[in-house]
This record gives sequence, structure tokens and C-alpha cells, in this order.
Amino acid sequence: MIANALSWMIAIPLLGALVCFFAGGKAKFVALVASIIPLALSVQMYTEFDKTSKIMQFVESYNWVPSIGVKYTVGVDGIGFPLVLLSTIVSVLVIIYSWGETKKPNQYFALLLLNEVGVLGVFTALDFFLFYIFWEVVLIPMFFLIGSWGGPRKDYAAIKFFIYTHVASLVMLLAIFALYFTYQTPEGTRTFDMLTLLAATADKTIFPTSMLNIIFAGLLLGFLVKMPAFPFHTWLPDAHVEAPTAGSVVLAALLLKMGGYGLFRVIMPMLPSVDKAFVTIIAIVAVISIVYGAFMALAQKDIKKLVAYSSVSHMGFVTLGAVAFTWMSVTGAMFQQFSHGIITCVLFMSAGTIQHVVGTRVIADLGGLADRMPKFAVLMMAGFMASLGLPGMSGFVAEFMVLTGSYATLPSYTMFVVFLSVASTAAYHLWAMQKAMFGPILKKYINVHDAHSYELFSMAMIIVLSLLFGIQPGLITDIMGTAATQVMGPVVTLSQMGVI
Amino acid sequence: MEFSHYAPLWGEALLTVLAVLVVLLGSLMKNSGKLMGYLSAAGLVAALGLVASNLTLKPALFFFDTISVDALSQFFKVVFLIVSLLVVIASLSKYTGKGADEYYALLLFATVGMMVVSSSIDIVTLFVGFELASLSTYALAAFDKSKKNLEAAMKYFIFGSVASAFMLFGFSLLYGMVGSTRLADIAAASLANFGPATLVALLFVIVGFGFKMALVPFHMWAPDTYEGSPALVSALLAAGSKKMGFVAAFRVIIIALIALRMEWYMAFAILSALTMTLGNLAACWQNNVRRILAYSSIAQAGYIAIGFVVVGAAFGAEPVNVLNLGLVPADQLGIAGALLLILGHALMKTGAFIGTAQVSSMVSSASETDPDDISNYAGLAKRAPITAFCMLIFMFALAGIPPTAGYIGKFVLFSSAIYSGLAWLAIIAILNSALSLVYYLRIISYMYLKEPAGPKIAEQKGYMVALVLTLVAVVWIGVFPDAFINWAIQAAAVLLP
Repeated sequence: MIANALSWMIAIPLLGALVCFFAGGKAKFVALVASIIPLALSVQMYTEFDKTSKIMQFVESYNWVPSIGVKYTVGVDGIGFPLVLLSTIVSVLVIIYSWGETKKPNQYFALLLLNEVGVLGVFTALDFFLFYIFWEVVLIPMFFLIGSWGGPRKDYAAIKFFIYTHVASLVMLLAIFALYFTYQTPEGTRTFDMLTLLAATADKTIFPTSMLNIIFAGLLLGFLVKMPAFPFHTWLPDAHVEAPTAGSVVLAALLLKMGGYGLFRVIMPMLPSVDKAFVTIIAIVAVISIVYGAFMALAQKDIKKLVAYSSVSHMGFVTLGAVAFTWMSVTGAMFQQFSHGIITCVLFMSAGTIQHVVGTRVIADLGGLADRMPKFAVLMMAGFMASLGLPGMSGFVAEFMVLTGSYATLPSYTMFVVFLSVASTAAYHLWAMQKAMFGPILKKYINVHDAHSYELFSMAMIIVLSLLFGIQPGLITDIMGTAATQVMGPVVTLSQMGVI
Repeated sequence: MEFSHYAPLWGEALLTVLAVLVVLLGSLMKNSGKLMGYLSAAGLVAALGLVASNLTLKPALFFFDTISVDALSQFFKVVFLIVSLLVVIASLSKYTGKGADEYYALLLFATVGMMVVSSSIDIVTLFVGFELASLSTYALAAFDKSKKNLEAAMKYFIFGSVASAFMLFGFSLLYGMVGSTRLADIAAASLANFGPATLVALLFVIVGFGFKMALVPFHMWAPDTYEGSPALVSALLAAGSKKMGFVAAFRVIIIALIALRMEWYMAFAILSALTMTLGNLAACWQNNVRRILAYSSIAQAGYIAIGFVVVGAAFGAEPVNVLNLGLVPADQLGIAGALLLILGHALMKTGAFIGTAQVSSMVSSASETDPDDISNYAGLAKRAPITAFCMLIFMFALAGIPPTAGYIGKFVLFSSAIYSGLAWLAIIAILNSALSLVYYLRIISYMYLKEPAGPKIAEQKGYMVALVLTLVAVVWIGVFPDAFINWAIQAAAVLLP
């Protein structure tokens, strides 16, 4: 095993970003190398990962600011590791997809790498302070990606994205401070250690329920805005529509997962100790997100906006599965994070390719593109099928697990979802696909060419992965299953594990 | 009396001699501006070395107990010297021609004045230092002699004089009651017995210092002055002279008038909440970058004033385990937080104003319009990449995004508010930090997202060196804050019994 693998995984893209910035036209090669190394590291870690262990693995811990109790602590368990794997996979594919970027490529690839640094940091940090820093670091490259490479309303979208999510992060920060200032270790010191603080929330003498409710609400808001869940989703369609394709992909595939990760890492261990009303509230938010997202998608004219709303709908399954709190639903919700992370890439890549091949994304203006873009059409079709939940692909397994698992504890909510969203989800996918790609080709598109090979390659890889995890979900759900058992039990702190 | 007895004051002595020398040499030699600049920079470095070699923790008293060299004074002296040094380095790109020697001399005198104030434990000495610094900066504010300069300087001068008058009247009342000008005597007398006259004196002193610290509602002069003065002088005013107001207020209000803490506690709680909120709100509507920075510095003064509120609320409280610093009383932590924010803000604001100086130096010749208008910042990332990047980091630091100097100061300060039961104030302050991002982000989006407003320009060496040095300091303090936190806590102990 490689020593300090997680730190290297974070440091290499960071270094890569710096080199990219000064590499000019060669930046894409640098970016590719700097993203493949973390991928290799994460695959290597996958082979070494103990799937049955419930404790943190690959832990590194160093003192950073002892006077306020900040440590640099990173480590992964079954909650974080699948997302680390997802981040490294998506980062490589999105860099390959962007191979043809010609506008300031050095900055573009540097920002993509910085994004990878941020999300990897979020998924591995075990210190709230560090977690918050990475959480904020992610905003900055995305702000510039939207603001510099975006569509016509990019300024508005970039600033809305930044302020909306930053305000939510600040609310989350307040809640973190409340945890920090309330809990004292037995030695009388303060700590930002996530696991220690979360384990302490179960103690009613330190955190009375009334106080914990407020803290919980603050943290929940921070995560729900990021997911995003209804009614905090309004930043997402704007950000997606204006963002460049790679930005949209990273946004949907990785940034939204930060919110879901927060649910599993932070919210679920606290859930048994807070007011039961929260379960109802979160379940209602989840159901509305699923149903409302699907109906909004049905009403969109812009294919990218359609995909954006489908993200709202799909991420609702994560919330639902988490709050249903059964082993099956939680595992399913984690798998939905992973599965949506890969599938949504193909959807946004499709929207991006249509945009630059045809020049428009308005569904009503498209038609018969499959005729001129056969390879692209196959991959896009496969992606849309995966997204609507075709059996045999990963999305089906995940959503099926969430619904089956949730039925045990939240039957009425689950039925609501089943009856209201399944048909409309299929409808908007099929309708968009049919209208844009099939039928007789429109005259004005007679001269369009198929997508570039690097774009097709990225999309194909994702379809392969979706099939692989759809047919053999055990590859990753074994890890998630252990994690699900663990998040439903008490938090095991690093000192209890004997790691530090 | 031995010469070496005064070793802790060699820094001030050196700068005073140097300032006189600069005036003399400047009048004798022609075109000596650049040389004088280098000379001043060297002198400031030497003075910084002298002060830094003597970060003494045990107070040493001089001149019949009117000057105290202690951890607090050394903390502020380091801040003032760093700010002046950065301003001088940046000035090397601008003030080289005729009359530049006067500029450097005035700047050195202002620095000496600020250093004297930070050491004063006697109200008359304090006032003299205060006036030395103020008079020098009045002249500096008009130094470019443009119409705008003169207006700014006039405003600054009138408001400053009125503030001095208020302060002096407050001091005279204190002297009349106590019969002594020593802060320690005033403290003892007012602790024993204070009457309505002491309250009136407190009111006058708060108003006088409130002007200098630019707390709302005494802030009106600041945006006009910071906008109209030469940009580098604005840096000195916002980062140096304003902090002098704080150290003076710390000494007079916390040491001498501690008996009235319940009174000034309420006053500062209101002033602080008002100042940060109004400062941030007003900054959102400005189009002139220097005005934005001025309002942002008003808001920052509001945060720093939390230090007073914490002392008022938690004075004499039992030490508790704060953070991981061991047993520290909450009031000491409050002052330490204010000091850290003062240090951080001094650096960030100096950097930001030097950035505006760089921008206006390149556009003023080309355009008739306001050189500091935000439209001139469009596409700055392409026109002047290093300036834009430094400004970007300063903006994030001012907004308090970790890991920067701005963050650590706010963290310690707001923590102290929580420890002393002022969670409401901490929450207002944190929400204000979120609000402040609106206008910082606006500058950033102009610099990075808009199309360039003109061709690429050569960034001038002096500005660049100053900017990069400031950038390194801002990030360094944010990433390795431990030593600075401990230093600030030691400095804070000076103010408390």
C-alpha cells in the first residue's frame, strides 16, 4: 500500500492545477496525467479496501493549528470511498471530454483539477474545519468555470450560484461552531474532529434535544441546498444552463454529491437524537423533490434544463433513502449517489454535444439527429435509458433499493413517489429523446457530423460503468452495505479505533 | 542615564532622525526622491528589526512613566511599521520626482506618531503622538494636489480636528477631576468614585475616537477621504492611522475608564452592530472601488469593536478553557481577537489599496472618467494578472474565507463573543460576513469575468513587490496562525489587570 495515498490524491491534482496554469496549450496533457494518477491511486485503494470493516481506513492525522484544535485528518470508510472513486473517474472522463476546449485551455483544465481537489477533500476530510475549507474551495473554481466559459447569462448564474451556496455553507458553519463550542473532550480541550463531535451528539447531557435540533437544522440546510432539494433548488437550473458542459458535469456528478455525503456522514448519526418531526420534514422534502423535479423536467424546452431538473428528482431518492433509515434504503441511497454521479455525466455530455454540433438545445428545434449522428445517438439513448431506470443499468438497482427499503418505514411517501414520478420520469426522458434524435431529419441539420471521438469515448466509458454496476452492483454495494450498517449504529471515533 | 537604557525606543528615535534627515537632504540635493524612498524603506526595515528584537513581555516605562514599551505597544508598532514599509515600497513606483522627499518625510513622521500613541500611557503624550500622526496624514492626503485630493484632505482635516477637539475636551475633564494625566491614576480615581462628569468625559472620548476608528455614525469622512486621497495614502489611513485610533481607544477606554464599563459596553455593542451592518450595506451600492474598500473598512472596524463589547461583558471573568489555549479569560481572548483582526485587516487593506493604486496609475492617463470606477477593473485578470490575483486573495481574505489572515482574526474574535455570552453579536457578525461577500464578489467578477476594458499593461515593480509581500503575509498568517494567536493573547494581557 502506498503511504499517505489520500494526501497524494489531493496534492497531485493541486500541483497539476498549478502546472496547468503555466502550461499554455499543453495543459490538457498535464491535466490528464494529474487526474489519472489519483484514479490509479483510488483503484489501487479499492483493491486494498477492507469491505467488511466499519472503521475508517487510510487515516492520516497531523496537528495543524493546535491552539484552536484543528487537525489535518483524512480517511475514508464505506461512505466516503465510493465517492472518492466516483470523483477520480469522473474527473478523468470530463477532462477527456473537454479535449477540444480552445478558450483559455490552461485555466480551464486548472479549474477542473482544482474542483477535483475540493471534492476529494470534502469526501475524505475528518476534521470539520478542513471539511469546511474544502467545501468552500469547491465554490471558487466552479464560480470561474460558470463565469468565464458560461452562456449568455453567465455573470448572473455564477454570482447566484456562489452567494446562494455560500450563505448555506455559512449557516452550516454556524452549526459546526455550535458543536465545537458545546463539546469539550474529557481532557478539557476543544476539537473539530468530526467523528468525536458526532459521537458526542448522542449524549443528551452535552447536547440537549432542543439545542441539537437547531444545530441539526443548520447542518441540514447546508446539505439540502447543495443537493439540491426543493425548495432550495433554484440556483441549480441557472447554474447548469449557463455552465460549460464540463462544469455542468462536475456540478451534477460531484458537487451535488457533497450534499448527499453530508447527509450520510453528518445528518444520519444525529437523526436518532433529534426531534422526530425532522424525519417527516425531510421525507416530505425528498418526495416533493422527486415528484416536482420530474414534472418540471417534463415542462422544459431546453434539454439541459431538463437534465438539470432530472438531477433534482434523482437526488431526491438519496434524501428519501437516507431518511427512511432501513439498511436497504440507506444502501440504495448511497448507491444512487454513485449511480447518478456517473449517469448524469452522459446526459450533460449529450446536451453539450448537441449544443455545439447543432447550435441549439431547444428540444422543439431539434429532430432526427440520429440520422447524422448514429454513434452519438446510441450512447445518448443508453444514457437516457440508464437515467430513467432501465433494469440492467445502475440507476434501476439504486432506485429499486431505495423504494423497497423505504416502503418498510415510510410506506405512504413511497407510494406517492411510485405513482407520481415513475411514469413522468419515463415520459420526459423518452419524449426528449424521441423529439431530438429520432424521426425524419430536419433539412437544416443535413450537414451535421457525429460527435468527436474523445466525446464518444467518455460517454461510452460511462455507459460501460453503468452497465457494469447495474449487472454486478455488489462490486460497490458491498462497501456501501457495511457503511449503511455503520451509519445506523453509533459513531466510532478515531480514538476508539486506535487509529490516532 | 545610559544610552542603552532607551534601547526599546531606538526604533522611534531612528525614524525621527531619519525623517529630519530626509527633509534636509531633500532640500539640498536635486531629484533625490528615489534615494529618499530607498532610505525610508531601509529605515523602516531597521526599525522593524529593532522592534521585533524586543517583543518584550515585561512592560518597561520611560520618560517619567509616560511611555510604556510592552507586548501591546510592540504588536501595534509591528503593524504600523509593516504598513508603512509596504506603502513606501509601493510608493517607489510613484513618488520619485520633485517633492517626493517631503512625502517620505511626512510618512515617517506619521509612523513615529502612531508608534508613540501605541506606547502612550499618559493622555497628553497620547494626544501629542495622535496629532503628530494626524497632521502628517492631513498633508499626505492632499499630496497629489489635485482638486479631488484637496477636497478629501479638507474633509479629513476638518473632521479630524473636530474629533481631536472632542477628545481633548474629554481629556481635560478627566484631568480636572483626577489631577493627573496618567492613565493608571485616572483608572484608580474613577474606580474609587465617578460622577456625571466622568460620564461626559467618556462620551467625548468615545466620540473623538469613534471618528478616528470610523465607527458609524462618525464615519462620514472616511469614504470621501479614502476615495479622494492618493491611493497609497488611503492605504496608510485605512491600515495605519485607523488602527492608531484603536490602540488609543484600547488604552484610554479599557485601562483608564474601566470603572464605567457597563456604560461603554452598551455604547460599543450598539456602535459595533450598527457599524458592521451599515458599512456592509452601504458598500453594496458603491461603484467606486476605493469607496467599496472604505465602507468595507468601516464594516471591519465594526467587527474589531466587538473586542470592546467582549471586555465590557466579561471583564474580570474567571479564566476558562478557551479553544485549546488553556485557561484564558474571555475578555483577554476578545482583545486578542481584535488584535488579530487588526493585524489581518491592516495587511489586507494595504494590499487592496495598493492594488487600486496600480489600477488607477494605468488608467488615469488614458481616461477622463473616475480612475477608481469599477468598470476600470473589467478584465483586470487579463490586463494585469498578478495584481488581479493578489486582489482576488485580498477580497476573499476580507470576506473571511479560510485559510487567510481575515479568517483567523474573525474566528478568535467571534469565539470570544460566544464565550462571553454574546452569541447574538457573533451571529450578527457572521451574517454580516456573508453579506460582505456580495460586494467583494462584485469586484472579483469584474476582474475575472468581464471582457478587458483596455490593453494589457505593464505592472509596476514597486506595486508588485508590495502586493506579493502582502499576499504572502496574508496567507502565511492564515495557514500558520498558532504563533500569531499566542502573541496576540500575550499582547492583550497588557490591557487587563
